[in-house]
Amino acid sequence: MKKDSLPYVLGFMLAISAFFGTGVSLVHHSTKDMLARNEQMHRNRTIAHAFDLPVAGRDADAFAAAVEEHVRESRLPTDQRNWTVFERTTEAVETSETDRGDIGFIFQGQGVWDLIRGVIVLSPDLETVRNLRFLEHGETPGLGGRIEEDWFLEQFQGVRIAWDRPRDSRLIIGTALDPDAANRVDAITGATGTSQALMEMLNRDLHNFRQAFQDNQHTLETES
Amino acid sequence: MAETSKSIFEKGIWAENPVYRQVLGICSALAVTNMLTNTLLMCAGVIFTTAMSNLTVSILRNYIPTRIRMMVQVLIIASFVMMVDIMIRATAPDIHRFIGPYVGLIITNCIIMGRAEAFASQNRPWPSLLDGLATGLGYSFVLIAIALVREPLGFGTILGYSLPAKDLWWQSWTIMIMPPGAFFTLGLLTWWARAKTDPSVKE
Repeated sequence: MKKDSLPYVLGFMLAISAFFGTGVSLVHHSTKDMLARNEQMHRNRTIAHAFDLPVAGRDADAFAAAVEEHVRESRLPTDQRNWTVFERTTEAVETSETDRGDIGFIFQGQGVWDLIRGVIVLSPDLETVRNLRFLEHGETPGLGGRIEEDWFLEQFQGVRIAWDRPRDSRLIIGTALDPDAANRVDAITGATGTSQALMEMLNRDLHNFRQAFQDNQHTLETES
Repeated sequence: MAETSKSIFEKGIWAENPVYRQVLGICSALAVTNMLTNTLLMCAGVIFTTAMSNLTVSILRNYIPTRIRMMVQVLIIASFVMMVDIMIRATAPDIHRFIGPYVGLIITNCIIMGRAEAFASQNRPWPSLLDGLATGLGYSFVLIAIALVREPLGFGTILGYSLPAKDLWWQSWTIMIMPPGAFFTLGLLTWWARAKTDPSVKE
């Protein structure tokens, strides 16, 4: 058969695609457990950092133990979304039936390039941001990807959420009329839309979460 | 006359180095060289991909239909890059968070595509494998040299370990971990290397 004939070309492409596709699948399959463990480790570490938990060590078990000991994870299903909620369980909180620890939830939304997911931790009255950490994002390294840098994340600690303002400006990332506003943090740079995308997803999820949480806070489904 | 193993390595690493002679693979040379650990992992990925894709293209060279050869080469390269990406994600997830986007970009790295087309598609498997290794090592040589300048100057560390008594005598140069630091270092290295390798410069 001639090398440039249509049947040969099609047969060759099919054969080589099947061969290399199988190869990649085998590599993926053989590392599946490692990838899952890494994912769990990253999740626990992110939650531990977001809640500023005491962690005895830097390995996966230490982060898992810290999260298990100090944070209760629940589900808050609503019509629009199944929220993943975290609540800090300190000794002081456990002795009281009414007091709550810091509340966190997983926020998510579309960044410039890909989905952005993270954990935001709020004070029990949902008025103040305690911390913010990212679980995943696909923003440009060195540009939008700078949302992961400590100087940016540390700005969120202690930021007041302006619940009395319009829904899209309760948290401001970037410029504002009042540069010293208690609900504002600096953007990473004006050269990317990542800060704007992050601000929009945070304001939207904060609004929706508060509504869902206040309506259903006594019916949180504890994770098994 | 067929090239010897020695001449293939000399060309790949020195005389025809892909980065400072051919100015290829610059994106990753600028992006992943602020930490030596990241650089080493990226270099290992490129060496593996270049060598394996060269070897595979060479083995298949007599069977690949001419009019779809570029498509086949991209498929081969992409497969090896995906394997490298999965392995790095499984074994070094924290480093993968930094260099992951650039690992994916190895697929479009001109060095690898260029060697597959210019060398492997016309030579036997053994010289092609050596050419891939040599080209990957040449790329790595430049990246490691840049990282060895940027990390100590920018962070005051090497492979994450602090320089001795760093706090007493060293003030980190933040610009060295930013893109301009990579431009300066690469420019100076290219200047020096071309002066050493280009006969017209000596004259």
